[in-house]
Amino acid sequence: MLSWSGQKSGVEVDLTSIATGEGTGGVPFGVELLAFAEAIADWDDEELADTRERLRSAAGEAFMIDAAAVAANFEMMTRVADGTGARFDDKTRQARAGLARTLGVDHWESAR
Amino acid sequence: MEVRADLVEAHRASFRHIASPGACLTATERIRLAEIARDAYFEAEPSPPWVRHYPEATENLAYRLARHAGTFSIDLYDRAMAEGMSALVWVEVVGVVIATVPVVAFARAVGSDMAPFPGPVHGRPTGRVATDLVDATLNWVPVAAPADRTAAVVQALSALPGEWENLWRLASAQYMSDRQMDDPAWTRGTLSRPQMELVAGRISKLRECFY
Repeated sequence: MLSWSGQKSGVEVDLTSIATGEGTGGVPFGVELLAFAEAIADWDDEELADTRERLRSAAGEAFMIDAAAVAANFEMMTRVADGTGARFDDKTRQARAGLARTLGVDHWESAR
Repeated sequence: MEVRADLVEAHRASFRHIASPGACLTATERIRLAEIARDAYFEAEPSPPWVRHYPEATENLAYRLARHAGTFSIDLYDRAMAEGMSALVWVEVVGVVIATVPVVAFARAVGSDMAPFPGPVHGRPTGRVATDLVDATLNWVPVAAPADRTAAVVQALSALPGEWENLWRLASAQYMSDRQMDDPAWTRGTLSRPQMELVAGRISKLRECFY
């Protein structure tokens, strides 16, 4: 989903951090944001509580809430894409082949 | 903890939407699917994606989309159609699951209590379907004409206007509206756009969503 929203808005982040979950992504609070996102996508409630508190302490409660909202949105959009067989046209698919390799997503079942 | 009023209202509206008759399914059927999706999302030890736990194909679809979305393929869709599910019912199940998952995911993420689903609004399915349905190249499911003029995720639920409207109401509150997305300088005053994209990208990667 990153490519659609990111390309549409022209916003760029460090793709290596997205691919690996490591580093800062080149943004403030990147470490805390990545840990929070990781915990949301996992099912360890203690880890989630810990990363939530770390993000809240570092960046504030409103920031943590909005980060959770963005994560929730992409829990939604990924299921919209997967559930309806969303795919790119050939031109876009070719243009983003390098991005897919960088992210390590080109072999996935959903790479239709 | 104080959650933005527009976000609270979008989530409440999504649950009201679930509990109302859909285009093809009753409110009771929709709540049942939402309960399955919610429970699947939280299940400590989920079943493998190929296991069919439930008697109804719609229920198995809801479970799998809530917990194993990255395993969806055209073969799965074609098999469901061959076994008698209609494409519009498929779209409605997707609509119910995506009306459920972000609400419960957000509540879990911020550590708040999970709101119960409202009681069902009684009545027959509405039959509210886009007036001109066409096959698409960018999605398996039929969409409102004209097809493939917008991104696949934008047209994805357009066959059923009620599901489409709920999706974009949620997206506007949780993330940003389509208009705001066109402005790279727009923020809510909390996360910058690169910070939002970092979270969005990492969740998408962990969910194995190629798109």
